[in-house]
Amino acid sequence: MSMLDRVIDWLDVRIGVRELAKEWGSGYLLPRNINFWYSMGSILLFIFLLQVVTGILLLIHYVPDSEKAFASVAVIMNDVPYGWLIRMIHAVGSNMMVAIALLHMFSVLFMGSYKAPREINWLSGFLLLNLILALCLTGYLLPWSQLSFWATTVATNSAGAIPYVGPTLVEFLRGGKLVGPPTLGRFFALHVALLPALVVVLVGIHFFFLERIGISTPPFGHQGKKTPWRGDAFRYDAHPGGIPFIPNYLLQDLTSIAIYLAVFLSVVFFDPYLFFPKEAFVPANPYLTPAHIKPEWYFLPNYQMLKIFSNEFVGIAAQGIAMTLLALLPFLDRGKERHPLKRPLFLACSIGGILLWLGLMIWGHFS
Amino acid sequence: MRTSPVGRLRLRIPIGALLFAALAACLPRVTAAQEPPEIVCIQCHSRQAGKIGEPVGLWRQSVHAENGIACNGCHGGDPKGADAESAMSPARGFLGAPKETDIPAFCGKCHVGVLKDYLASAHGQALGSGGPTCVTCHGNHKVLRASLDLINEKDCSRCHGFDRARIIRDAMVKTESRIVALDKRIQTYKDQGADVDRIEKGLFAIRNRFHTLFHDQDVDKVWEESVRIDAELGKLDGALKAMDETQHRRKTAGAVAIAGALLAAALLYLIRKSYD
Repeated sequence: MSMLDRVIDWLDVRIGVRELAKEWGSGYLLPRNINFWYSMGSILLFIFLLQVVTGILLLIHYVPDSEKAFASVAVIMNDVPYGWLIRMIHAVGSNMMVAIALLHMFSVLFMGSYKAPREINWLSGFLLLNLILALCLTGYLLPWSQLSFWATTVATNSAGAIPYVGPTLVEFLRGGKLVGPPTLGRFFALHVALLPALVVVLVGIHFFFLERIGISTPPFGHQGKKTPWRGDAFRYDAHPGGIPFIPNYLLQDLTSIAIYLAVFLSVVFFDPYLFFPKEAFVPANPYLTPAHIKPEWYFLPNYQMLKIFSNEFVGIAAQGIAMTLLALLPFLDRGKERHPLKRPLFLACSIGGILLWLGLMIWGHFS
Repeated sequence: MRTSPVGRLRLRIPIGALLFAALAACLPRVTAAQEPPEIVCIQCHSRQAGKIGEPVGLWRQSVHAENGIACNGCHGGDPKGADAESAMSPARGFLGAPKETDIPAFCGKCHVGVLKDYLASAHGQALGSGGPTCVTCHGNHKVLRASLDLINEKDCSRCHGFDRARIIRDAMVKTESRIVALDKRIQTYKDQGADVDRIEKGLFAIRNRFHTLFHDQDVDKVWEESVRIDAELGKLDGALKAMDETQHRRKTAGAVAIAGALLAAALLYLIRKSYD
């Protein structure tokens, strides 16, 4: 008997690891027609872990002080062995995380996986997307460059449009009238402590519901015999005769992660400055506004939307309403049909919405 | 309770429209950043026509504006003054426009080395007797970055023939082109967050030394000094080549990593297929 077998035996008699491995691995069955879009969540988890690891490594040399932050990032980029790589993985990874989170959301949307009984899965996923955006926003300020300083000035201005509490809220976010050292302190605390902790909790909740309710069956291809959920009692969505998670779908997850890595590394090594305008490498100067300061690509649609609306409050209210509707989608769309081609109106509106969002992004970029 | 097809459609139209609106937006709101207020000199003069307002537009296109040198940098005074009187108060160091013979000293407050070179040159020797001042070649408000383009037939032949100036210019063209090319490469690295501080300062010092030759009319001296400067530029070029090499090595390592990821993807896919 090998040492590994002995260790497994020792653990098995105490916590039943073999039973767990069967329950969560080879015994955990998935629909036979499952597709690769279901591996987006695993890619996201992989990116988050990579962000945590690179973030911890960056913390070793980063100094969260407005006088030293920019210089400490320059040291990471130029003097720390492989510091440039760690920073680029972290920075490019944050953009990739938003992109993959959006793809994950769109796939759930088109396959109707948000529908009952999975409303809470959708809600927790929606909150996770917002947390990812908050992580990006708070992390953006930390290098204390011209880009991060002014982008944060622009972004925190937004709260000012809320009636009555707006100015107070802006001051609370910034820790003062203007973006300055107190803002850096707050954003640093949020970025490295509170937000990652909330992401971990929400990922746990997201997985709990996934495990509790079961994986949804894709609306494409052979779906086997399915009894529709009636909403009268809790029922685990089992997939008898399905494929085991381990090894079958785990291999699909790993394949998707490897493909993602290839794309991600292509950006990191061959176009790492895709997300870095030159203002990202100039120290913050509160007295010098860079020309044409623009938010990151994922906030460009909002930026452009606000330019379209003449009234600031109307602009922010429209976005708030839109986001609320997106969050409440499973409670509004209560139809049973999940195949996108059998929902032409939904398909037209969704594709139209995505094209509009992309159009606003491009318009925002060139405006 | 069953819903009729018409009822379902009625329900889906608003849902579809809501989804369309929802996807058209995302979270935080962004507005244009506020420009910092302009100094009082610009505020007043930009609103005035003719000779008194013209310098504002010219200054905006200058190397001074590019480097944050405002009106008070040359003319003195208080750019934060509450009104024209306090902004242009001699008590606050306001100098106004200099007389022609005072121009070199006026510019020389900052460009000390250049003033020395100019005064030693044939141009400086002719100051006050029809010789050129700084603004003759460099312009007064739209001050251009010093370059060999300033030595050209059109401008030089306003006062004298271009033959001698052409020989000097030709002697310096190669070195100047090299300086410009190195500067461009340094800027590219700088825009990528690379630490080029030492190289940049090195080039700055060499360029300044080289540009002192612009005010010299001794052809042999210009030629010899250009050769020496060229050798020093070679060292900076070597430092940049080392950085290029590092970039190249990183890309090679990246290509290997990407190939490894794609190979792993292919292998994992084939293993997965074997289980189907």
